[in-house]
Amino acid sequence: MKRILGRGAWFAVLLCLADVTQADPGKDPVTSVMWAYYQQKFLKDQPFVFDEKVVLRAPPFAEDARQVPIEIDARAYKDEVVRILAWAELNPLPQIVDFQPIDRVLPWLSIRIRIEQATPLRAAVLTRDGVWHIGSTSIEAAGGGCTAPSVVRTQPGWEEHIGEVLGGRYPKAGFSRLRMQIAHPMDNGMVSGIPEFYLNQAQLKDANGKLLANLELFPAVSENPTLGFDIEGDGETQLSLRDIGGNQFSAVVK
Amino acid sequence: MNRLALFFLSLSLMFCTCVQADMEYRLQPRQIAQDTYLLEGSTENFSKTNGGNIVNTGFIVTDSGVVVIDTGPSRRYGEAMRKAIASVTDKPVIQVLLTHHHPDHVLGNQAFADVPIGALAGTKELMRHHGDVLAENMYRLVGDWMRGTETLLPTQTLTPGILEFGGHRLQLLALAGHTGADLAILDLDTGVMFAGDIVFYQRALTTPNSPGLQVWLGDLDTLQALPWKLLVPGHGPLATDARPLEQMRDYLGWLDGLLRNGAAQGADMAELINSPIPERFAAISLTRYELIRSVSHLYPTYERAQMVRVDAR
Repeated sequence: MKRILGRGAWFAVLLCLADVTQADPGKDPVTSVMWAYYQQKFLKDQPFVFDEKVVLRAPPFAEDARQVPIEIDARAYKDEVVRILAWAELNPLPQIVDFQPIDRVLPWLSIRIRIEQATPLRAAVLTRDGVWHIGSTSIEAAGGGCTAPSVVRTQPGWEEHIGEVLGGRYPKAGFSRLRMQIAHPMDNGMVSGIPEFYLNQAQLKDANGKLLANLELFPAVSENPTLGFDIEGDGETQLSLRDIGGNQFSAVVK
Repeated sequence: MNRLALFFLSLSLMFCTCVQADMEYRLQPRQIAQDTYLLEGSTENFSKTNGGNIVNTGFIVTDSGVVVIDTGPSRRYGEAMRKAIASVTDKPVIQVLLTHHHPDHVLGNQAFADVPIGALAGTKELMRHHGDVLAENMYRLVGDWMRGTETLLPTQTLTPGILEFGGHRLQLLALAGHTGADLAILDLDTGVMFAGDIVFYQRALTTPNSPGLQVWLGDLDTLQALPWKLLVPGHGPLATDARPLEQMRDYLGWLDGLLRNGAAQGADMAELINSPIPERFAAISLTRYELIRSVSHLYPTYERAQMVRVDAR
C-alpha cells in the first residue's frame, strides 16, 4: 500500500512536470513547416521555449552555400548549459552539431555549414533544469551547398593533408577565443560516387587531459571544418578528432 | 463568390499585362564626349523590376563604325542597345570590347554575334568556365528578362596596347583587381576612360573573383596616373575628377583593415558581417549587402594568414 502511494506521489510529480512541458513555448520567430517534426525527433517530449536569449547568428543569405558561417551564443545561460544541438531544417542532412561544453568552455560556438536551400536554422540549448531553449534564424540561398562537388578533392594530393590543423588563440576579456580549421573533405555521401567520410567526433582537453568539451559533428558541417570556441582560464588546449573512417587526429593550441 | 473570383482574375490579368509591357529597358544614350555615348544603369541590386540594368555600357561612333563597350545583362538588353545605337547613328557596329566576364557586362553578346567580340584572354577563360553558372544565376535574379539569353564567348583576344578605330585611338589596359582579368579602355582622342568594374562609384564594389584588395589598389594607382578627362565607372555616375578613385581607395582600405583586424582578433565571419559601416560611406548603395558577400569571398584568406599549424602530424 505504502509502495503504491509512493508510486502515486511519483506520478503526481510527473504530472506536474508534464504541466511544465505543456507550458507555452512562445511564438516561433521563424516560419517553419518542420518544427514539430524536429521537436519530436530531437527534443522528444521534453519542455522547450523559443528563446531570444539564445542567439543564432547567420548571414541573411548564403553567398557560398558550401561555407555558411553560423554562430551559436548561449552565454546568457552560462554555467547552466548541458548540451547544444543545431540543425538546418530543410537540409537533406539537417543535423550540424551536438556540443557539450563541460568545463571552462563557454556555451558559444562558431562553425561553417552547408545548406541545400533557403531554410530555418535552429540551436537548441538544454539547461540543467531540463528545459530546451530554442534560438532560431532563417537564411536565404540559391542553394546546392550539400550536393556541390568538393573543393578539397580538386586539389592534387589532398589526401596527404587530411587532419592538418591550422589554429590560433586570441585573448578576449575574461576568456580566450580558440579557432581551428581542420583539413578534411567532410564527404556527406550526396555527391555522386563518393561515400560518406567525415569527422564525427571532437574533444577539447586541457594540458592535463581533463575533458573540457565534447562535440559530435554531422555531415552538414562544411569541408575543412572551421570551429571557434571561447575558453576561460590559462594553459594550452588539446583537440582530438576522429572521422568515420576511424582516423584519429590531434592538435595542441598554445 | 464567382464574381469575387472573376474580380481577382481580372486584377491578376491586369497585373500580368503591366509587367509584360514594362519589360523593356528603354535605354537612353547620353552623349558624354565627342562621338561617345553612355547608357547608365542604376546603382541598385539585380531585380525582376530592373531586368539587371544596373550597369554602365557605352559606345563610340568612329568614322569607320561603332565600337561597343560591354553588352549588358541579357540578350534583350543587347538588342535594346543596338536599337539605341541606331537611334543616334547610321554607322554599323564594327567591334565589341568586353571589360570583364561578369554577367551584367557580357550577356548581351548574342545581339552582337555579327561583329568581333574582343576580351582579354583571362576574361574568355573565366567565361568559358563560369559563364553558364553565372547566366543561370541571372535567370534566378531577374527572371523573364533573361529569356533566350545564353553565354556567347568572345571571338577575339585583346592584349594591352593601342587599337585604332576610325580616328579614335583606344589604349587598352590589362588590370586584375576586380576579377583577375579586367580591361580598362582610355580613348586618347576624347580623354574618356571606360574603367569597367575596377571603378564603382556610389555603389559598393563586389569581390567574388578578386585576387586581392592590394592588387585592386594598385590598379587604381595605374588609372589615376593616366591622362583621362572623364571617368566612366562600371557602376555609378561618371566623374570629371578623381573622386571615384578616392572613394574606391577609401572603401578598399577600410575593407582590408576590417578583415585584417578581424582575423588578428579571432573574429568569425558571422560577427564580421555585422560590423558597423563608417558614416562616410552612407551615400554608397548596397554596402551592407556587399560586405556580407565580401566577407564570404575574402575572409578565408585573411584568417588562414593569422593561424599556424597546430596538429601533431
